[in-house]
Amino acid sequence: MPKDTIEIEPPATAPVLELRNVTKFFGDFKAVDDVNFTLLPGSICGFLGPNGAGKTTTIRMILDILKPSSGSLTVLGHSSALEVRQRIGYLPEEKGLYKKMKTWAVIAYFATLKGLTRKDAKRRAFELLEKYGLKDFAEKPTDALSKGMGQKVQMLASLAHDPEFVILDEPFSGLDPLNQQVMEEIIRDMVRCNRTVLFSTHVMQHAERLCDRILLIAKGKMIFDGTISDAKRTIPRRVRIQTEDPIGPLRALEEVVDARLVPLAGADGHPNGHDGHTQWELELRENADPQHILQTCFAQRIRLDSFNQSEPTLHEVFMRLVGPETKEVVRQ
Amino acid sequence: MKYAFLVAWREYAESAKTKGFWISLFMFPAILFLSVQVPIFLHEKGTPTRYFVLVDQSGDFEAVLSETLDASYQKQLFGALKDYARKNSAKPGGDQATGDDTPQSVKAFLKNGGQEPFLKSLQPWLKPNAPAFKAPRRDLVRAPLPPGLDSKTDLATLARDLKPYLRGDKQLVVNGQSSGLYAAILIPRDIQNQIVRPNSPKAPASGAPTGEAGSVSGNTPVPAGIQYWSTDVTPAKEGSGLPHEIEQAVNNEIHRGEYLSRGVDVAALRQVEQIYAPLVSLNPKKETGQEAVNTADIVKQWAPSAFVYLLWVAVFAINQMLLSNTIEEKSNRIIEVLLSSVTPGELMMGKLAGIAAIGLTMIGGWMVAVFAVLSWKSGGASDIAGHVLTVLKTSNLVPLFSVYFLLGYLLYGGLILSLGSVCNTLKEAQSYMGVLTMLLMVPLLTMTYIPRDPNGTVARVFSWIPIYTPFTMMNRAGADPPLIDLIGTLVLLLATTGAVLWMSGKIFRIGILRTGQPPKIIEMLRWIRG
Repeated sequence: MPKDTIEIEPPATAPVLELRNVTKFFGDFKAVDDVNFTLLPGSICGFLGPNGAGKTTTIRMILDILKPSSGSLTVLGHSSALEVRQRIGYLPEEKGLYKKMKTWAVIAYFATLKGLTRKDAKRRAFELLEKYGLKDFAEKPTDALSKGMGQKVQMLASLAHDPEFVILDEPFSGLDPLNQQVMEEIIRDMVRCNRTVLFSTHVMQHAERLCDRILLIAKGKMIFDGTISDAKRTIPRRVRIQTEDPIGPLRALEEVVDARLVPLAGADGHPNGHDGHTQWELELRENADPQHILQTCFAQRIRLDSFNQSEPTLHEVFMRLVGPETKEVVRQ
Repeated sequence: MKYAFLVAWREYAESAKTKGFWISLFMFPAILFLSVQVPIFLHEKGTPTRYFVLVDQSGDFEAVLSETLDASYQKQLFGALKDYARKNSAKPGGDQATGDDTPQSVKAFLKNGGQEPFLKSLQPWLKPNAPAFKAPRRDLVRAPLPPGLDSKTDLATLARDLKPYLRGDKQLVVNGQSSGLYAAILIPRDIQNQIVRPNSPKAPASGAPTGEAGSVSGNTPVPAGIQYWSTDVTPAKEGSGLPHEIEQAVNNEIHRGEYLSRGVDVAALRQVEQIYAPLVSLNPKKETGQEAVNTADIVKQWAPSAFVYLLWVAVFAINQMLLSNTIEEKSNRIIEVLLSSVTPGELMMGKLAGIAAIGLTMIGGWMVAVFAVLSWKSGGASDIAGHVLTVLKTSNLVPLFSVYFLLGYLLYGGLILSLGSVCNTLKEAQSYMGVLTMLLMVPLLTMTYIPRDPNGTVARVFSWIPIYTPFTMMNRAGADPPLIDLIGTLVLLLATTGAVLWMSGKIFRIGILRTGQPPKIIEMLRWIRG
């Protein structure tokens, strides 16, 4: 490149990632079908979907490990992630390390592949190992590490070069609750540093706790792209009440679509509690006000032991959207 | 290139830390050292002085046999003196003063008085700090008959009485030391009657004659002739060693007696026997005036065989390393992280280069060992070690070896990388490796054949098959193959290696991310085309 040429980086608000009509075929099998989405800097996005949905294939296309059959994508303003490899971190779904290499050396090696000098890579490896409590294992070969430790080391290897954009494929799989918490902390640290994170997971609680946006993919198609609140609004609101009185007046309400018995906590699968009390779940129409249900209970003298207007969980949203009954592609 | 270099460096550094690498690096020098030292050690320490008894009841051969056995030792002594001269002469070529190692020079050595005059004549050539000459130990020493045994007893009885000594049940006492009896040579009184004369009317109708020796046990008669008793049957069967020397000495003496009895002038006959027309083997490819084929030329023709073996071991060993490294990365799924940082081409290039560097280091180590052992063992230009060293230093064998190693490695490495990329486990890869190993066995089978006819049809055909080019051309390197073979096969090898690497790149790119069953050949062909 001539000396007087200045490389113009895209502005900070430009999308970190943009996929346009990306499709991938393996032979006759369509693994990814016309996927579109963008990621803005500093966002943390959950990439959700059942097994075989096309998440890993999409991630591999983002990283330029696989080429799309059609469509295009840009990563940090470039058409190939390899052109900006120093600015991207990646933790794959199936984790593995060089068994005989020392822990610090593995982190340093991956960091050098991402552009750090050997000296800086070594320094950074020791820094990270100390920060995340693995200093004592720095000089040990990685086959001396437990599975959780190995996974943490691989996570650190993907972050050692301080990337702007991090892709984590199932970062929580195989980790115990304590290590899952550590992993969440690492992700939060990145977001605090204004890094952009795209991570895939099967564990909805993690997505719910961490993400400000989720992408849901099933059978290669994008079926949802939006915030968690948006996602929750895709399934009807519900209230749960516990009473020994009949709920006929509530069933008659226009807002109530359906009412069904649900087991009481501690009951052995029988909908009725030991003292004759029953728990009901009422499915409400969109925009229905749960307060109106409560008022009706008072007005109709339905004695309540409990009233709970809970939001659907992301797990429920997931099950509903990717379940066999979901035919329609929901787009926000 | 930077990323390929980083991959190569890791491959090199990590492979250099493995036990396998260090074992390979030191195994060859250790084997080389031991193959040189162990026979010497065994000869010096392991083989005890062997005692034999000689009973010549005919009285015709005792003197000649003693003389022959002494001459045999004198020859050994002369060899040791020459070796001493080579190692301790102050000036290059000083050892030349001792003359060539021919039967004539041994005779001259004996005629001049043997060891002492030789050492005296060597004195001006010796280094000031040269150690004193130590004469080699006699391997075979004649012992007297054990006490109680009489040389005049009939041979059957004598043989029976000697058997316990020969079997080790009884020990001889020689110079106050007890020792086993290695052999007993018994010459019957009527040996003259037992001489086989094929065209004489007196000859027995068939089979070997039987003489007075009769039978030892009284059952099976001992064949007539000189009896050589020993539990070590190998020399007798091979036509070498003590029995061979005895047979030759006795028969020479019989021939001499026969000549005399027929009125032939033996002295004139011996003189005539020494007349010969020399045959000089000449190589037209050598410089004018120096066409005569010498030991160095023979060494040069055969030395490449050793290189072929080294080449084979090196290519095979480091390709195994390449295969296991690739499969480790694939089965561990490290490959995915690597491919997010480097292109498949960079990864493949890095792996090939890193492992090639390991191979070159290993070969470098081996070469150092070869040169070190040869220099240590070489006392001058006229011994085999010296010849090999000269050939290695002056010929193009080492540079050719390096070129053929690199190209052979890259050619097979490309195939191995493709294989490694489509297999998930080493076990899966082993079945495919079997085919490759069988293909690789061919150069080992032709290794000893090719130097006998280095520019023959078989050698030339194999040279033009690219997978065998490195081995066959290396094998022919000492015989100055035609330029068309040298350049043509090299160009074909380069082109094939390039094509294999290109195809491997295509397979590697797709195969490395693939899981499940390895693909069929047809599918891989589709990958190459795509």
